[in-house]
Amino acid sequence: MAFDLNTLDAPFAALAGFDWGADADFFKSIDAAVVAAHGDASLRGDLEKRFGTLLAGSTSRATKEYVCRKLAMIGTGVSVPALAALLTDADNSHMARFALERIDLPEAAAALRKALGMVEGSLKIGMISSLAARGDLPSVAAISNLLGGDAALAAAAAAALGTIATPEAAAALAAAKPAGDVAAAVIDARLACAEALLAKGDRKAAKAIYSSISAAIGDTPKTHRERAVRVAAKRGLLAAAE
Amino acid sequence: MSRRSTTRRRFLGTAATATGAAVAAPYVITSKALGDATTPPASDRIVIGGIGIGNMGSGDQGAFLGRSDVQYVAVCDVRRTWRDDGKGRVDGKYGNKDCAAYVDFRELLARDDIDAVHIATPDHWHAIMTIAACRAGKDVYLQKPETLTLREGPLMIAAARRYGRVVSGGSQRVLEDYRDIVNPCWSGEVGTLEAVDISVGGPSMPCYLPAVATPPDIDWDLWLGPAPWEPYNPGRCDGNFGTGGGSWRSYVDYSGGSLTDWGAHHFGGAIFAADLRELQPVSVAFHPASGGAGPYVSLTYPNGVAVHHNRPQPLRPERPSVAHGGDIQVHADGTPREGKAVPTYKGEGGIYGDFIDCVKTRAKPFRDIELAVNTMTGPHMIAIAYRLERSLTWDRSSQRFTGDDEANRLLDRARREPWIL
Repeated sequence: MAFDLNTLDAPFAALAGFDWGADADFFKSIDAAVVAAHGDASLRGDLEKRFGTLLAGSTSRATKEYVCRKLAMIGTGVSVPALAALLTDADNSHMARFALERIDLPEAAAALRKALGMVEGSLKIGMISSLAARGDLPSVAAISNLLGGDAALAAAAAAALGTIATPEAAAALAAAKPAGDVAAAVIDARLACAEALLAKGDRKAAKAIYSSISAAIGDTPKTHRERAVRVAAKRGLLAAAE
Repeated sequence: MSRRSTTRRRFLGTAATATGAAVAAPYVITSKALGDATTPPASDRIVIGGIGIGNMGSGDQGAFLGRSDVQYVAVCDVRRTWRDDGKGRVDGKYGNKDCAAYVDFRELLARDDIDAVHIATPDHWHAIMTIAACRAGKDVYLQKPETLTLREGPLMIAAARRYGRVVSGGSQRVLEDYRDIVNPCWSGEVGTLEAVDISVGGPSMPCYLPAVATPPDIDWDLWLGPAPWEPYNPGRCDGNFGTGGGSWRSYVDYSGGSLTDWGAHHFGGAIFAADLRELQPVSVAFHPASGGAGPYVSLTYPNGVAVHHNRPQPLRPERPSVAHGGDIQVHADGTPREGKAVPTYKGEGGIYGDFIDCVKTRAKPFRDIELAVNTMTGPHMIAIAYRLERSLTWDRSSQRFTGDDEANRLLDRARREPWIL
C-alpha cells in the first residue's frame, strides 16, 4: 500500500520548528515513513527533498540532528550536497558525518575527502575517523600526510591507516617518524596492517612488519604497553611463519 | 626480580606525581602493603583501577576491593561526586589517602603500575576504552553489554587477541542465575534443543529531553564522548537501571535499551544454556503485529536452534521443556542425549574471581570477550530488525547483512570528534 504523502506535511512543519524539549510525538509519523521508504523510490525521494530543505534552512541544531539520523538510514546521492555543506560547521559536522559515513556511495566519500582538506583540529579528526570507518582507499595519501604533524591528528591518522590496512597504508606507517603517544598509535596501526596483510596471505609483508616492531621493542620491554607490543609482534611472527 | 615487584615499585614513584586531573596523595607504605597471614604483600597483588565508578561501577569496585589479591589504586569518573565517593571507598578500605582520582580515563591508562581495569561506563564508551586499555597492556573486566554496535565487537576481540590481554565481559548472572535451565540443558536430560523463548524489554529510544544548566559536578563533554552532542539533562545521564525514559539506559546513543541491558543477562543465560556462545545467528526474522499481539523477532543459529524475542504465548509450544520463571522457556525434543560438564569460573569469588584468576594465569575467562560479543550479536540484530521492520540474513565472515544496504548502515555509527575507533 502506497504511503500517503499528505500525512507528512504537518509532521514536517513541526520538525522545522523543533528543539530539544518540545513535543516529539510527530516524529513517529516521519519514522514510519522512513521505514516505509525501503523499496519505495518515490517516497524516499520525497523524504530526501523535505530533509534537504530542513538542512539548508535556519533550523535548530536539534532539527538538523534528527534529519541526519534519518539520512543515515535512507540518504542517497541526492542528500550528499546538503550534508556536505554542514561538514565544515563545528556544531553540525559530526551529525553530517553521522549520515555521510553510512551512505555507501562514491559521492559521500568524495564529500568527506574534500572536507578533510578544508577543516582543522577536531573536525579534521572527524573526517579521518569517517573515512577510516568506510575503508576509503583513495584517502590514504591525504591521511598519510598528517602523520608528521600535530600529535592528535597524527595519532588519528595512524589509527585510520591501521583500519584501512592496505599495503600503501602499511608503507606510510613504516616511513613515519613518530614520537610519544603517536609512536604507540603508529605501532598499533602497523600491527593491524600486519594482521590484515596476513589474512590476505601476504606473509612476507606481515613478517616484515612484525620483525621491524619486534626489533624496535627489544627483548627487555619495560612497560605494560611494551610487553603487550612484544607479545603482539612475537605472536605475529609465529603466525606469519606457519 | 618478579614483574610484579618491578611494577609495584614503579607505582611508588608515579602515584605521587600523577598530574592533570588526578588527585593523588603521596604514597605511604602501610603495614597492609607488606602483607600478613591472609593478605599477600602488595608486590604480589593485581593492581587495579576502575573507570566509571557509579552504580554498577561501585558494585564492581566493591567486589575487587574486597579481594586480598587485589591492590586498588585509582578511580576515574566524569562525575565528581562518584569520583570522590569511589576514592573514599578505596581510602577507607586501606586506611590511607592513596587512591588517585581521574576525570579522563586516558590518564589512568597511562599509569604503568596498573595491571588491570574494570569499566562500567555507559555503553557508548565500552569499545573505545576497552581497546585503549588493551593497547596500554591492561587486562579488562568490562560490564555488560559489552558492545553498542555490531562493528565494535570484532575490533574489541582483535585488540584483546593482538596484545594477549584478558578481557572478561561482565554479566555475573549468566552462570549464577540460570542454573534451572543451564543444568538440564547441559546434562542432556531434556534432549536436543529446538527453540528458546526470551521475554525481555525492547530496544532503546531516541532522547529529546530539554536542555538544563550543566552542573559543575559533571564533565558533560567527556560524558558524551563519542556520542552526538546533545544538551545536558539529568534524565539523559541518570545512572539508574530503568529503560523506560529518564536514564541513559533508555536512549539509543548510549545504550541498546532493555533488549541489550537486562537482555545481556537473559540472552546470556539462554544462549549459554543452549550452548550457542561460540556461534552467531545466521538470520533474524521480523514478525509483524498480528491478532492483537505485538511484533516479535526470531533468531536462527547455524545448528537450527531458534531464539525468539517476545514471541506471543499462543505461538509457543504448550509446555516448555524447562523454564527460568516466565522469562526464558527452553523447548527440546525430549529424547535424552549425552551430557557435558557445565563450564564454570576459575578461581574463587564468582565472575570477579574468575577474571583475577585469569589475569594471573593468562587463561580465557568464563565470559571471554569473544563469547560476549557473539552473545550480544543476537540482541543487536534483533534491534535492527525491529527498527527496519523486516527480516535479515547475517554473514558472520564479513560481519554484514546480506543484500540489505540499509541494514548494513546500522552496523555502526559515526563517532563524535575527536574520538576514533
